[in-house]
Amino acid sequence: MKFYYFHLMPYIMEHDEPSSWVTLSNRHYDPAVGHTLYNQYLDQFEYAERLGWDGLCVNEHHQNCYGTMPSPNVMAAMLVRRTTRAKIAILGNGLPLRENPLRIAEEIAMLDVASGGRIISGFVRGISAEYFSTGVNPTHSRDRFYEAAELILRAWTEAGPFPFDGRFYRFHYVNPWPRPLQKPHPPVWCPSQGSSETVEWAAKRRFPYLMVFTPIKRIAQIYGEYREACERNGYRASRYQLTVNVPIVVAETDAKARELAQKHVMWVFNVGLRMHPPFWRPPGYITEASLRRLLANPPVLPSDLTFEQADRDGYLIYGSPATVRDKLRVFADELQAGILCTAMNGGTHERTLELMQLFAEEVMPHFREDAGVDETAGVGR
Amino acid sequence: MPASRELVVRGTPIHLMQDGTGPALLFLHGAGGAGHWLAFQERLAGRFSVYFPSHPGHGGSPAAEWIEHISDLAFHYLDLLDQLGLERVHLVGASFGGWIAAEMATMASHRLASLVLIDPVGIRVDGWIYPFLFGMDIPEIVAAIFHNPMAALALAPRDQSIDTLALQYREGAALARVAWNPYLYDPLLRRRLGRIAAPTLLCWGAHDRLAPVSPCGETWVKAIPGARLHVFDESGHLPHLEEADAVADAVAEFCRREGAR
Repeated sequence: MKFYYFHLMPYIMEHDEPSSWVTLSNRHYDPAVGHTLYNQYLDQFEYAERLGWDGLCVNEHHQNCYGTMPSPNVMAAMLVRRTTRAKIAILGNGLPLRENPLRIAEEIAMLDVASGGRIISGFVRGISAEYFSTGVNPTHSRDRFYEAAELILRAWTEAGPFPFDGRFYRFHYVNPWPRPLQKPHPPVWCPSQGSSETVEWAAKRRFPYLMVFTPIKRIAQIYGEYREACERNGYRASRYQLTVNVPIVVAETDAKARELAQKHVMWVFNVGLRMHPPFWRPPGYITEASLRRLLANPPVLPSDLTFEQADRDGYLIYGSPATVRDKLRVFADELQAGILCTAMNGGTHERTLELMQLFAEEVMPHFREDAGVDETAGVGR
Repeated sequence: MPASRELVVRGTPIHLMQDGTGPALLFLHGAGGAGHWLAFQERLAGRFSVYFPSHPGHGGSPAAEWIEHISDLAFHYLDLLDQLGLERVHLVGASFGGWIAAEMATMASHRLASLVLIDPVGIRVDGWIYPFLFGMDIPEIVAAIFHNPMAALALAPRDQSIDTLALQYREGAALARVAWNPYLYDPLLRRRLGRIAAPTLLCWGAHDRLAPVSPCGETWVKAIPGARLHVFDESGHLPHLEEADAVADAVAEFCRREGAR
C-alpha cells in the first residue's frame, strides 16, 4: 500500500456562527496565527517525506476555516522545492470554478517540469459551497467540469497551437508553454463523493477515484461500482485506481488515541464542515436522480455526526499502532485500496509530528509488499 | 376552478391553467408561484380570459434544457401566444415573471394591449443589490419576501415527500439557469426598456425588501415611457398575494381603460 500525507491546512477555531463556509467573517482570520500555521503545516509535509510517505496531498477550498488553501498550486510550488522524492498530489483544482482553465494546464505543467515529474493532478468540481463563494452557476458545474477537463488534457497532449470552441471556454490559440514532463500527462485523479456520473467518467479514462471522508460501507459500494465501470470499459481496475482518504490518529495506547480523535478529528466534521443548509445544495449542482437517491437515504450532516457514529461507521481510524494496523487491513485486504491518504492532527504541531513518526515506524512498514512498485505507472492517463 | 391542460409549445411541453371569459390576459408567475391559482387570478377571471402557464422546470412543466437565458423564456411565451392564436394580450408578470414580461415587451410591444409588472426584477438598479435568495433558508426567504409572513402559507409545499422536494429543487435549478449570475437581472434589459410601447402599470409592495420601491420601482418607472407606479401599502414583494383584491382591481381597471383606447 502507498501512503500519502494529506492536509487541509485548517484554521482551527471555535465559533457560534451557523456556517464555517462562505459567511464566516474573515475578521476571525488572524494573519499572524496563519503565518505560524502555514509554516507548521509545510514542516509537517516535509517531515512526512523524510519519514517515508510516498505522496503529499494539497487541495483547494474557498472562504472557510476548514481548509485555508484557496490556491493548492501555490502550496504545491513550495513543496516542489523543499522535497525531492515524494509525489505531490493536488486533490484537486476546482475546474469549473476557473474562468480560464488553461491557467490550470499551465500551472500544473510548471509544477511538473520543476518537480521532475512528481505531480498528480486532481480534477474536482469544487464542493457545493464554493458556487456561493465564486459566483459560478452551479447548474453549469458538471458541463463546465467536463469541458475544462477536455481542454486541459488536450492542451497537455496535443501540439499547439490549436483552437478550442466550447460552450463555456473559447480560445483561438491553445498553446501553453511549458508542456508537462510526464507523458502523456501527469496522472489525473478524481476525488469525489460517489456520484454515479463521476464514477463512470473516471473509470472510462482510468482516472483513480478518491473517496473523501466517507463511511466505510459506502466506500465499499462505490469501489464496487467503479470496478464494474472499469470492466464495462474493457479493463480491470488497478488497486492504485482505488484511493481512500481517512483521518488517522495513532498514539501509544487506544485510550490516548481515542481522546485525540474525539477532540481533533471531530473538529473537522462538527465545526470545519458546519454549513448553513442552503450551501449544501445549490440548485442544479447535482442531477435530480442523484438528489432523489440522496433524499431516499439521507446522509448524516457532518455537523451532526457524533464520535460514536463516526467510529462505528468508519469515518476515521484511531488506536495504538497494533489497533491501527488491524483496522487498516480492512482497507488493504478487503477493500483492496492501493493508496491511503491521511491527515493527522495531534492537537499541537509537536504532538502531530510524534503521531506521524509513530505511524511511519510502527504501521507503514507492515504494508510495504509493494515497496518497489510505481503507483502512477499506467494509471491516471 | 380553472381548467388545466398540457400542451407542447414549439417542442417544449408545458402545463397551462385557464379560466374566465373576456379579453385575453397572460399571467407569468414568479419563483415558487407555479400552479398557485389564488384569489388574485380568480378575481381577474371574473373579467378576463386568464391564461396561467407554468414556466418550464416549474410546477407541472418539465425542465427544458434548451433554456439558458431569460430571452429564451421571453421567446417561449411569444411562441405560446402564437400557438394559442392570441394576437394581442394583456400581459401581467410578477417578480421573476415580471422580468420575463418586460423582456417580451422590449421585443414585441405590438402584441401587448397593456403591460402590468408586479414588483419585477430583471434590471440592474444603481445603488441596489438584490439579496441572494439562493443562499437563504426558508425562514430567511419568508422574511425577505413577505410583509405579513402568514401570507407565505399560500405558497407552502403540500408535504415534505421526496417528490415535493425534488420539484422544489427542479424549480430552483430552472431559476438558477437564467438568474444565478448575473443574479436576477439581464445587463442588457435596462437600456432596452425605452423600447416598450405598451401602456405600462407598475404595481409595487411598499415593504418589498427584495426589490424596494426606492430605488427599484423608481428606476423602472423612469425607464419605461409613460409608465405609472401604484404602491400597495400592506405588501412586501408579492402584493398580488398580500392584497390580492386591491391589486386585481387595479390591474383590471388599468387594462379596461387601456384596452378601450
